[in-house]
Amino acid sequence: MGKGQARIDNTIRTLRFNAGEMTQAALAEKVGVTRQTIVAMEQGRYSPSLEVAFRVARAFGVPLEQVFQYRGEGE
Amino acid sequence: MSFKEWEAVVNIIAAIVIGAWVIFEALTNPPATVAAVAGRLLWAILYVVLFNIAAMIVMSILVSIARREEFKDEKADERDKAVGMKGMRNAYLVASIAGVASLFTLAFGADPAEAAYVLFGGLMLAGVVDAGSRLVYYRIG
Repeated sequence: MGKGQARIDNTIRTLRFNAGEMTQAALAEKVGVTRQTIVAMEQGRYSPSLEVAFRVARAFGVPLEQVFQYRGEGE
Repeated sequence: MSFKEWEAVVNIIAAIVIGAWVIFEALTNPPATVAAVAGRLLWAILYVVLFNIAAMIVMSILVSIARREEFKDEKADERDKAVGMKGMRNAYLVASIAGVASLFTLAFGADPAEAAYVLFGGLMLAGVVDAGSRLVYYRIG
């Protein structure tokens, strides 16, 4: 959540697909957030806290950087 | 829309409906004393609370029927809390301006009843700004 375009990309949609088309609701349950927050993250409208980011990565059993990628200024 | 977005919509409708009632009563049936004005405004605040509760129940039932599944609030997560805090920050700004405006109203020698209306209107506006901000932040992130 911040001003302008989010500079953090994520692969949550792909990871959900690879996890047997895990539903947003199921991921939200695992991570401990609402489904709307998962939707907002997938659409790049919300950048989660570090703790939630780690929980998302753990839900898929992958390293954090496989889920979230930081785009620097002007990239 | 999520439950919390619907809640914000209901908050805005409540503020508009009760605010319109207060304005209508002030114009057509103005109270004689400052105490009476303050009393009416306190009742209006109670009506806002009751309207919100009733409207949320009705809204939950109607959306549940439309979606054919129980429509209920979820436990707030970090995004809900961040959105809530931003809304409150905006509302605080408006409420602060309303407080100063009501003092200015008194300082310029206006009827204290008018200052009460200014304060009440500002607080209602702050509520609308809070709910409106939440709607915007939920939409744009």
